[in-house]
Amino acid sequence: MSATYLQALLSGLSVGGIYALIALSFSITFTTTKTLNFSQGEFVSFGAFVGLSVLLLLSGTFDFNAVPADASAGLKFPAAVVTAGVLVGVVGIFIFLLAVRPFAGKPGMSWVMSTIGFGIILQSLGLVVWGPAVVNVPAPFGEGVIRIFGAGVRSQELVVLVSAIVIMLVFDQIMRRSLLGKAMRAVAFSPQVASLMGINVTLVMVGAFVMSGVLAGFAGVMVAPISTASLFMGLGFSLKAFAGAIIGGLNNPRGCIFGGFMLGVIESFVGLWHSEWREISVFVLIILVLAVRPDGLFGARTVDKV
Amino acid sequence: MHKRNMFKMAAAAAVLTLTAGTAFAQEIKIGFNGDISASPSAQSGQAGVLGLQAAIDDLNAAGGLLGRRLSLVVRDDLSQPPRSIQNMSDLIDNERVSMIIGPTNSGNALAWRHIPNQKRIPVIGFSGSATDITKPMAAGADNYMFRVSMVDRPQVAALMAYVKRNPASKVVGFMFETTGYGQGGLRDMQEIAAMHGIQPAATERFAVNDTDMTSQLNKLKAAGVDTLVVWAQGAPLGHLLRSMEKINYFPRLLTSWAADNKSFYDAAGPQLAERAIFLRTVTDERSARQQQLFDRVSPRLASTSSFPFAAHAYDGMMLYAAAVRQAGTIDGPKVREALESLQGRYDGIMKAYERPFSRTEREGLLASDFRWTHWKDGRLVNYGDDVVRSLRQEDFRM
Repeated sequence: MSATYLQALLSGLSVGGIYALIALSFSITFTTTKTLNFSQGEFVSFGAFVGLSVLLLLSGTFDFNAVPADASAGLKFPAAVVTAGVLVGVVGIFIFLLAVRPFAGKPGMSWVMSTIGFGIILQSLGLVVWGPAVVNVPAPFGEGVIRIFGAGVRSQELVVLVSAIVIMLVFDQIMRRSLLGKAMRAVAFSPQVASLMGINVTLVMVGAFVMSGVLAGFAGVMVAPISTASLFMGLGFSLKAFAGAIIGGLNNPRGCIFGGFMLGVIESFVGLWHSEWREISVFVLIILVLAVRPDGLFGARTVDKV
Repeated sequence: MHKRNMFKMAAAAAVLTLTAGTAFAQEIKIGFNGDISASPSAQSGQAGVLGLQAAIDDLNAAGGLLGRRLSLVVRDDLSQPPRSIQNMSDLIDNERVSMIIGPTNSGNALAWRHIPNQKRIPVIGFSGSATDITKPMAAGADNYMFRVSMVDRPQVAALMAYVKRNPASKVVGFMFETTGYGQGGLRDMQEIAAMHGIQPAATERFAVNDTDMTSQLNKLKAAGVDTLVVWAQGAPLGHLLRSMEKINYFPRLLTSWAADNKSFYDAAGPQLAERAIFLRTVTDERSARQQQLFDRVSPRLASTSSFPFAAHAYDGMMLYAAAVRQAGTIDGPKVREALESLQGRYDGIMKAYERPFSRTEREGLLASDFRWTHWKDGRLVNYGDDVVRSLRQEDFRM
């Protein structure tokens, strides 16, 4: 019986790691620009296919129907992760300039529609380039099941789990220690004051969208060996990740990470009890959290002066 | 010199009359409405278009239909019901097609099947397998929906017959994906199980995007389930098998035909994929007719596992052509009546059709045309064991 619970915990943490990574990418733009990229899911899918293309090119083929078994071996996978991160980061600049900047800070929620629209454009472009097929991506450390006290887990799930934690720690340090992090927090606190203090506010905002894009691209490639790559894979993950971010507190990166992991574990344990309650429990939790703590479990309370 | 010029002029005149002649006898337009670009099932739609085009090419090469050439009008519905409804009106009212093949997804057929029934244009399904698609809009009403494809209900009937006949199946569990497809399948499973007196020990669900189903599987394992019947699409079925491997629990696995999809094979991996048993209309052990069409379309098939849809669409088109010849017109109601009382025999890609449809029978392919299938060394081959061989007609309850 304990193996069953351990399995639920491990499975929950590994899915939660995916949610946490994407939840963090939501948080980055929210803390600096008070806007969200609602096409984060498409960014994740796009990143996965950029990474997959790199894996194939490095393996000397471009046949998506026959991905070689050793396509992720050696340094190919890290190369794919980096390329996807960089490219999706660049797409982050475009979404900021085209879909967010014209509307940010203005009354109304135009940026919601414009970011969703940007995602549709990105997905359509992806369909033109890569087609609608679902593509299997081999894991860099093989497909075998690793057994831990009777519970089974795959190598890539551990990789995602560990990298989510490492990224969280690094990001935390950047935000709290470095000049860039301080500038970002200053912009988040008040763009006007930050600007008066000589901080290039636009540049910091672009930087936030680039970082958010880098994370999405990175997440896409990391998740692809677990979920198989498709241009539709990102949406499901990003919805859950957004829920995790809301629960943890959108304006607290640590809280977002925690929220993502928590959601994965809750889903897994509710599945042990009554699987029909899995989705319900997630959203009941959101309503409860928002009722008691409107800014999330770890969110800082913001007071809008009227 | 002069003579030669005369000849040239005569030839030009002949060509002119010919073009004018063909322009006069208007083309018969055939419509396709289905997803060919936007979802994982788009590959099935693409295969359907290839098969349909092959059938139209063959008919045109043999002089067309009623002396008129056939042309194909393709509309992509991107898997979206509103788009699919719009396409339907566009094909019928603007393009004035005489028949439509489609759609790719069951949900879209259920969203618009009232339209061809109102406008009296025959539709032949080649992919969507939901049982209700070909039901009449009201009891006894004229019905313009036909199908040459897999159907969910007889599939489930076969799987339940297997469960009933298998002496090793003592504790049965059901699993389904929480989409319309999965829930429709679950309803069929529960109804047919009840006819056999089969009581599932547990029924578990998962979402279409889930990658880890270990929690639900651990519950089935605790309930002692030795035979699992699952209704879901290809990719989640693959993830289900990967989760089974994690907890090292492998009950006898009977699934929906989505397991024939390449997305299932890729997600599960070559070894695990071999554990699923399901039904299919064509296996990779093809008949000579099937091989012929396969050789024609396979260079342009995105995945060879989508070949059945090309064969279904080809046969659908040919059955329609036979009905038009019999009716002597492309008038919708008359062609429908001809389809419901087809004379003679048509040797199709899937089988030899003899009076395939009637006023009540809408399915070109029946349970007896389905093949027990499993993956073996990357190919979809016929599956046979003692239980399959022992199945009798009376075991199939619907």
